[in-house]
Amino acid sequence: MDLIIVVPIMLPILTGFLLGIIKPNYNNRNTIIISSTILNFILILYIILFKHNVSFHIVKINEFLDIYLMPDNIGKIFATLVSALWILTTFYSIDYMGNQKNLNKFFMFFMITEGVTIGIAFSGNLITLYLFYELLTLSTFPLVIEKGSEKALQAGKKYLIYSFFGATMVLFGIILLFSQTQNLAFTPGGIVGSVPMGNPNFYLFIYILLFLGFGVKAALVPFHSWLPSAMVAPTPVSSLLHAVAVVKSGIFALGRMTYYILGWEVIEHTKGNDYMLILVLITILMGSFLAIHQQNLKKRLAYSTISQLGYIMLGLVIFENSSYIGGMLHMLFHATIKITLFFCVGAIMHYENKTELKEIEGIGKRMPKTMLSFTVASICLIGIPPMNGFVSKWFLAIGGLERGNYFVPIILLLSALLTAAYLIPIISSAFFKGKPAHDVEVSEPNNFMLVPIVLLAVLNVILGFFPNALITMIQSAASKLF
Amino acid sequence: MIKFIPLINILILILFSFIILITKKEKNVKLMSFASNIITFLLSILLLTRVLLEDFIVLNLGKNNSLLGIQFYIGSSEAVISLTFTFVMLMILWFSNSSVKKEVSEIRISFFYILINILLASLLGVIYSNDLFNSYVFIEVSTLSACGLIILKDKKENIKATVKYLIMSTIGSGLVLMAIAYIYSITGHLNITNINEVIVSSYQSHQNAVLIILGLFTVGLGIKSAVFPLHSWLPDAHSSAPTPASAALSALVIKVYVFMLIKILFRMFTYEIVNSFIIMDIILLLGSMGMIFGSIMAIFQKELKRMIAYSSVAQMGYIVFGIGLGTISGTAIATYHIIGHAVTKSSLFLISGLMIEKTSSKKIEDLKGIGREMPITLGLFTLGAFSMVGIPILPGFISKWYLSLACIEVGRVPLILIILASSLLNVLYYFPIIINGFFGNENLDGKIYKSKKIELSRLIPIFFLVLSIILVGAFSSKLINLF
Amino acid sequence: MEIFTENYFETGAIILFGIGFVTLMLHSNLIKKIIGMNIMDTAIFLFFISKGYVTNKEAPIVVDITKNPDSYINPVPSALMLTGIVVAVTTTAFALALTIKLYKHYNTIDLEKILEMREES
Repeated sequence: MDLIIVVPIMLPILTGFLLGIIKPNYNNRNTIIISSTILNFILILYIILFKHNVSFHIVKINEFLDIYLMPDNIGKIFATLVSALWILTTFYSIDYMGNQKNLNKFFMFFMITEGVTIGIAFSGNLITLYLFYELLTLSTFPLVIEKGSEKALQAGKKYLIYSFFGATMVLFGIILLFSQTQNLAFTPGGIVGSVPMGNPNFYLFIYILLFLGFGVKAALVPFHSWLPSAMVAPTPVSSLLHAVAVVKSGIFALGRMTYYILGWEVIEHTKGNDYMLILVLITILMGSFLAIHQQNLKKRLAYSTISQLGYIMLGLVIFENSSYIGGMLHMLFHATIKITLFFCVGAIMHYENKTELKEIEGIGKRMPKTMLSFTVASICLIGIPPMNGFVSKWFLAIGGLERGNYFVPIILLLSALLTAAYLIPIISSAFFKGKPAHDVEVSEPNNFMLVPIVLLAVLNVILGFFPNALITMIQSAASKLF
Repeated sequence: MIKFIPLINILILILFSFIILITKKEKNVKLMSFASNIITFLLSILLLTRVLLEDFIVLNLGKNNSLLGIQFYIGSSEAVISLTFTFVMLMILWFSNSSVKKEVSEIRISFFYILINILLASLLGVIYSNDLFNSYVFIEVSTLSACGLIILKDKKENIKATVKYLIMSTIGSGLVLMAIAYIYSITGHLNITNINEVIVSSYQSHQNAVLIILGLFTVGLGIKSAVFPLHSWLPDAHSSAPTPASAALSALVIKVYVFMLIKILFRMFTYEIVNSFIIMDIILLLGSMGMIFGSIMAIFQKELKRMIAYSSVAQMGYIVFGIGLGTISGTAIATYHIIGHAVTKSSLFLISGLMIEKTSSKKIEDLKGIGREMPITLGLFTLGAFSMVGIPILPGFISKWYLSLACIEVGRVPLILIILASSLLNVLYYFPIIINGFFGNENLDGKIYKSKKIELSRLIPIFFLVLSIILVGAFSSKLINLF
Repeated sequence: MEIFTENYFETGAIILFGIGFVTLMLHSNLIKKIIGMNIMDTAIFLFFISKGYVTNKEAPIVVDITKNPDSYINPVPSALMLTGIVVAVTTTAFALALTIKLYKHYNTIDLEKILEMREES
């Protein structure tokens, strides 16, 4: 029954609308969203384990307007990541958002966004991806401006303008592509290969359009500045959306575009990836540099995200098996790591009202478990073996070397140093400054917040020690491409 | 029997308008008008089904094959457009049931219904007729009834708008009449099919004349269809008229003239002939400038209805652009956009009417926070706006997509940038209304939830219109293949 | 040059059209604009009707006996222009009514002054 793959998309969306219509009170709402996200996760696991090669046309209007779902390995992995992290974020946001009024609207869009993101994961062709991509912008916008302040509205406007600009570029690219290939379905190796090779510059132009267009959501320099501005949103939004859903959707779309539509051989023929490589390297370095200068903790993490996304994009522009695996691994690992980091920072903001670096002296002693998780996640991000961050960077470096790009490992090393430079001050300030430990009373966050944080930290460690299952899955997808 | 439907439609509408003229009670007036429009709507459905089966219908009034007789030609495009127009008019009338009292003084209400009937009759006449002079007569009738509709509301701005519209329209009609005279003098026929035969065989020797005729028709019909730069009457006229009238004007009236242009360009002069003249490039240019300029002007408007009116200018740009491409696919998209825009713009105008009525203000900045007060209404507005912006599945997106594909077909790829730029611009003026309506703390401060709720019964026609927006999008492929 | 003198009806019509158009555009007095509109319309009628003229043929009115159709001018344009005249008259009537209304509101029939005044209303 192939209809089942539509359910993980519709279930969260319907839950969201349910919240909007019946407006339950605090307790009922929590029950609804917790059960919905868990159910969704189980459904997705079921689909991954038991359903292979399913596909479904939601609505087929004509030969291009074909909303078509076809989860393949990469799509399934992304969907699992999204749904698992959504459960944890649900618990976290219940505590973080507390019992304010008008939270039903917030959670409505929260749930709708989950459905839309899974729609992106399960998309079977480019037009479906584009549809869900646009819907993602629309459903995340109310979350960004949730606070309602003037600054929030400004940030929201910027987000909308950047996103629509990117989506327009993507649409242009899709139209040009469709005019040549008459087909937009995701096929390993790309669909262009089946069409007689026309003007390579034409495909170069399409590639650049699509890369820049999707790159807006993936915070590619110079389209990255919406991301720090969007930090004005509540922390659950910043962490989930801007570490997981929105930016990773951009990356995911980039991956689809590169390997499943255009095909890396075509791109390599046009040398498009060399031009984009420059932008990617700038992204990696600039993100890290700017992160060091940020005093606001969330903004620091935001620039860190920009830089880390550059790593993933690096995996996507170097066309080697290893770098592809590295990129995909980092897509997953960065999500888990960054969400941990954001959750910790959010806990600090919520419980102690502190947002700047200089304010958090000694906080490690007041919230030891929280800051310990932060430390673990930071170590993972810097890339110290045997943590998961190291595994992904290792693959990326190997891929670079296989291609003969010797400065890729150098850049990775340099940026690891920079990562340490912006993360370690937080840790040292938290643990080694302020009043001595025995003078301070411990007041950890509520379990709803604390448990996800610790769970995530542990997850990162486990993924570092036992990444093989994941690697095998990604490798099986990669083998169809190379 | 079905063959006579076009004639029946027009006659019924005019007949009922006369009856309304002598009806005293308001209730009966509305009943008459409603009845006549429902009949035309149902007959249009019949007409469409017959045309779908039999390709096209030709109806001659009077002797068959007379050279100068009145002839109606209903092909698939005419039938679909006729159905759309009757449907939209029906919904507008349903809406006006409750809103006409508020904008038009008591004595004039029956005039409103009379004028609407005559307007619809004349619009249908232009669509159906295959005969140049017949079309001219109906064009004139529609101009006058449209002017009448604007002037129903007795304010200063209305009078000024009507004067402007009347003068510009008359210039347009004059040019059209000149063109008809010219064509008659060259070909000796007034019937479009007959003229086509003559032109095809002999246009080579009359290149200059054909060029002049094409130019006259384009400018003349262009003035009446608010093609850039001849659009300056539109914002005043459409924003000051009573709301149902604005909806009818923007959604229906300006469309028939451009449809007439399509008939003339492509049925009277064939595609090959028209493409060999520079006039197509000029049309293309005007269309593009209209698209961009209309949207830019809309961004700067402070009043809601003026903004939507400028948006109409931009949308007419799309249609003209489609014509200017000079291919069958371009024309098919232009026709599709006529239908899509008709349902979308009418619903937007009707919704704006509701919002203006409840906030007692025409300005956009007074609409802040209206999302909390009238959530369903603003939600419907959002849907219409999404179609304008180009969210997939809705007709706006489909028009843009196919227009872009048609551009590539003609080999003029950079034009796609103009299409995409104009949809981005649409975001800039539609979205602030939605955002300020639904979100923003100081916007929502002090607004009581659903305090300005509209009784559902008034919203139902809008519901139908919005539903049809979605349906038009969903069935787009079938529709486009028809044209 | 002979074209212009030979087809003097058409030439005259075009000159009239120009006069009418210029009057319509350049004068700001509403009545003059309406007059200009009328001149324009009349010019078009003249053009059209003159197209039906065949040299040395009669007007198509049956007096005593019906002659051969060949001996009449083409009646079609004249008939069609009747409709045109009706339309022009209607439009003029409407425009005049509007002018009266405008005068009542603004106390002037100078269009430019009215346009300026609009801003305050």
